[in-house]
Amino acid sequence: MKNNKIIRFIFTFPVIVYSIFLIFLPLVYIFIISFFESDSYGGMIKNFTLNNYRELFNSVYIGIFLKSFLIALITTFFCIIISYPFVLAISRKNKRIQKILITLVMVPFLTNSLIRMYGFIVLLRKYGVINQVLMNLGIIHDPINLMYNNFGILIGMIYTLLPFMILPLYNAVSAIDKSLIEAASDLFASRFKIFCKVIFPSTIPALFNGSLMVFTPALGYFFIVDILGGGKIMILGSLIKNQFLTARNWPFGAAISVALILITFIFIYLYRKIGGKMDDLGGM
Amino acid sequence: MRKLLIITFLLFLTGCSREETKELNVLNWSSYIPDSVIQAFEKETNIKVNYGTYSSNEECLAKISNTKLGTYDLVFPSDYMVEIMISRDLLQPIDRFRLTNFQNLNPVYLNLDYDPKNEYSIPFIAASTVISVNREFIQDEITSYNDLLNPKYENEIVLIEDQRIIIGLALLANGFDMNSTDERELEIAKNWLLKLKPNIKAYDSDSPKNFLITKEAAIGILWNAEAALAKMENPNIENIFPEEGIALSIDNFTLLKGAKNVDEAYQFIDYILREDVMKEIILSYPYKNVNLKTEELLDSSYLENEAANFSDSYIAKGKFVKNIGSSIKLYDRIWAFIK
Repeated sequence: MKNNKIIRFIFTFPVIVYSIFLIFLPLVYIFIISFFESDSYGGMIKNFTLNNYRELFNSVYIGIFLKSFLIALITTFFCIIISYPFVLAISRKNKRIQKILITLVMVPFLTNSLIRMYGFIVLLRKYGVINQVLMNLGIIHDPINLMYNNFGILIGMIYTLLPFMILPLYNAVSAIDKSLIEAASDLFASRFKIFCKVIFPSTIPALFNGSLMVFTPALGYFFIVDILGGGKIMILGSLIKNQFLTARNWPFGAAISVALILITFIFIYLYRKIGGKMDDLGGM
Repeated sequence: MRKLLIITFLLFLTGCSREETKELNVLNWSSYIPDSVIQAFEKETNIKVNYGTYSSNEECLAKISNTKLGTYDLVFPSDYMVEIMISRDLLQPIDRFRLTNFQNLNPVYLNLDYDPKNEYSIPFIAASTVISVNREFIQDEITSYNDLLNPKYENEIVLIEDQRIIIGLALLANGFDMNSTDERELEIAKNWLLKLKPNIKAYDSDSPKNFLITKEAAIGILWNAEAALAKMENPNIENIFPEEGIALSIDNFTLLKGAKNVDEAYQFIDYILREDVMKEIILSYPYKNVNLKTEELLDSSYLENEAANFSDSYIAKGKFVKNIGSSIKLYDRIWAFIK
């Protein structure tokens, strides 16, 4: 028994060290410096101030919050719309094919996401593959703008984040007891009704989990906005990056980060409020 | 027998005792010095160069301020950042008499405002912004930043992603100082940029020249080396220095306080200042050469490329980005607003 404890400790120790030194302490540091003053040379003056948080309510920054939320919301919405049919279709296949298809969903992760974004440039740009093909087929005469606009940003976001919606949904759907669906169809429930009454309710925690994992990174993935959106829009991620690298205002950057973390907490709180269980969120 | 073994083992140990490997820790702009130059330096001097890069002056400052003293020996800040680094006591004086090739430098680029006696910095190259226009698509005469507001150029312009430069040029376009901190003037610059916004295709600081080369955009405001390379790739591109002036930047060798490899750093600076080495750098990244002896070695392909080899006369009436202290917050707000 005692032995067991030691083994458990040995195995969890690296994770504990990792969490403390690479997650917890940096966050504490960010939290503390968000109350400092900046000296405009990139340095920090250790005076307590709430100005960084007050600055967040400047209409310019509120605008960025709203824009980022909108992009993240639309991304989440499309991820849900695309994931459901995909997951339902997969779950009807036999186990072996299911495994192969789900593995294929994860294959893109083997390549660095930055490189995948640059790959999109080759496809989407003005004289890129897609426009060339469409023009050669005579479908369009002038190249259409597929990137360096909001459309490009959404393509990049949805493409990058889709697996985070598919995986939890797939787990939830494949955990549904098949006999429930059979029972429903024995009782003459239409397919739509089966989806609404049987499948959908049992995937709600997964849906929330997936949404959280799509929505939160979408607020911060500035490289997608920079590469596929041409850097014309500023989202929270770019704003934070700018504070650290360009505006030399680390305390303000820290304050934005803290606000972002708080918002995530609020979402989780709301989820619990409507009856969600924390265990379901970890059920990847 | 055992003793013998131990003795030979000990001998072996001393035999391979560390032969002082000389090192140099350089932090430089990405795409500034070709790898071949670094390798040739390592071969010639037996000094191992650890080479790191950054893509903005602010990133350079952040990297220095957040690492242990002595992590880096040599960095390449631009003019205004030299001033900031001097005022933050990050640099140590450079003894120019230890540099045999110092006299190669063009005096036009010495003793400038940001370091009046070049006590802390030695100029490396100069850069300027240029308007590049692809004449295949745009035939109109363009002489001013205000010409870019033409609604015909919708979604056709690529800009370098640099808030100080772009807002600075907007100030110039309206006849103000490039480093203005006057809120009214900045408001006008902001509205000017909002007018320009529909014409902007993208902001990019990695490689905006590619936008022109691939015909993604027909107009660009680029750094001169990028513009010069774009012109070499595509002869249809014309590079224009608008009448309101251009934003200039001079990048410098600087030696950090607490540097562990000072001798090696001097060797490196002297090596780069050598005319043939500088020539190789300038041909790979055609910024404005500040080395008189190198100029004798360069041929017409560089000297007559007006974007690469802009006139020295710009320096005297130069528009440099200056340190504006906490007013940078105003610029940051404008940048966040126009995006």
